[in-house]
Amino acid sequence: MDRVGIGWRRELAAGILGNLDRIDVVEVLAADYPRRELNALRSLAATVPVHVHGTDLGLASSEPADERRLSRMARVVAAIEPEAWSEHLAFVRGGGVEIGHLAAPPRSAASIDGAARNLARARAVVGCDPLVENVATLIDPPGSDMDEPAFIAAALEATGCALLLDLHNLYANATSFNWDPRAMLDAIPPARIGAVHIGGGRRLGARVLDDHLHAVPDPVYSLLAEVAARAPGPLTVILERDGRYPPMPDLLAELDRARAALRLGRARRAA
Amino acid sequence: MTLPALLAHLYTDAALRDEALRDPAAVAARFGVDRAVLDGIDREGLVLAAESFARKRAATARPSLWRRVRALLGRP
Repeated sequence: MDRVGIGWRRELAAGILGNLDRIDVVEVLAADYPRRELNALRSLAATVPVHVHGTDLGLASSEPADERRLSRMARVVAAIEPEAWSEHLAFVRGGGVEIGHLAAPPRSAASIDGAARNLARARAVVGCDPLVENVATLIDPPGSDMDEPAFIAAALEATGCALLLDLHNLYANATSFNWDPRAMLDAIPPARIGAVHIGGGRRLGARVLDDHLHAVPDPVYSLLAEVAARAPGPLTVILERDGRYPPMPDLLAELDRARAALRLGRARRAA
Repeated sequence: MTLPALLAHLYTDAALRDEALRDPAAVAARFGVDRAVLDGIDREGLVLAAESFARKRAATARPSLWRRVRALLGRP
């Protein structure tokens, strides 16, 4: 059965806890939580399925992942005991310099080889494979010699991981760089889609910034229906919202729209 | 140096960014990467990405000890 949930944020905690009858799954960011908060998140995981989501491991790089951050992820996963954990196919540092956010790696064999090495190390430290997520980018990644769908497909093949398919990242990149987002869905075996992110952003001229500060745009729901029409197994869909929080009913309405898109896709699949 | 190292510097160092756009051969040589990486760089995207990363760093930067003490004393 398909599930729809939301990212845990302190600002949304009361709204989430008060509406667990309408939220099937919760995604928690990996961070240096104080013990009390970690215990609370563990209790949450006993109440509702929880995924842990990393943002700073920088696994898709020809440089090795930071061991301290891998150990922190292992501690968070061990403490919360989530259903799954995930991280981005991105790099976040290079040559000792921290970028401060997720950067799309050069789409090259070197990045794929580096991701495979780093994912193997992450698997060893954390104890299980993460889902790996496609990232949004405002720059066509320098040093690339393949397109994004080919890169993601090759990375999944090399790492053995399932995909956390971020549909707003897909929409943003396809819009910014003028390609059809369905090319990604064509390139990825649908059975490899382990979970789905939806979110919103804004235009920066001809490009789209994935800022998680706006409502999910219509094309993302259309892509979600397309994914549901292709995926053979149940999907887990998570709404990401990182600020400018609307009232909780608005966010719940976005979850309902996601459910409607899933139903539409499933009906197409059955037809 | 690696390509991620060059990119991390480009995304965080405005002076290097300017130099790379002005003289890509020199910057590529200094970082030991193929100059084609900089010759063909997405210039508009580089500026947008660097600005976006700078906003993220600013948003997540931990306030200095002095600022935190002043905030505790109610003197922001």
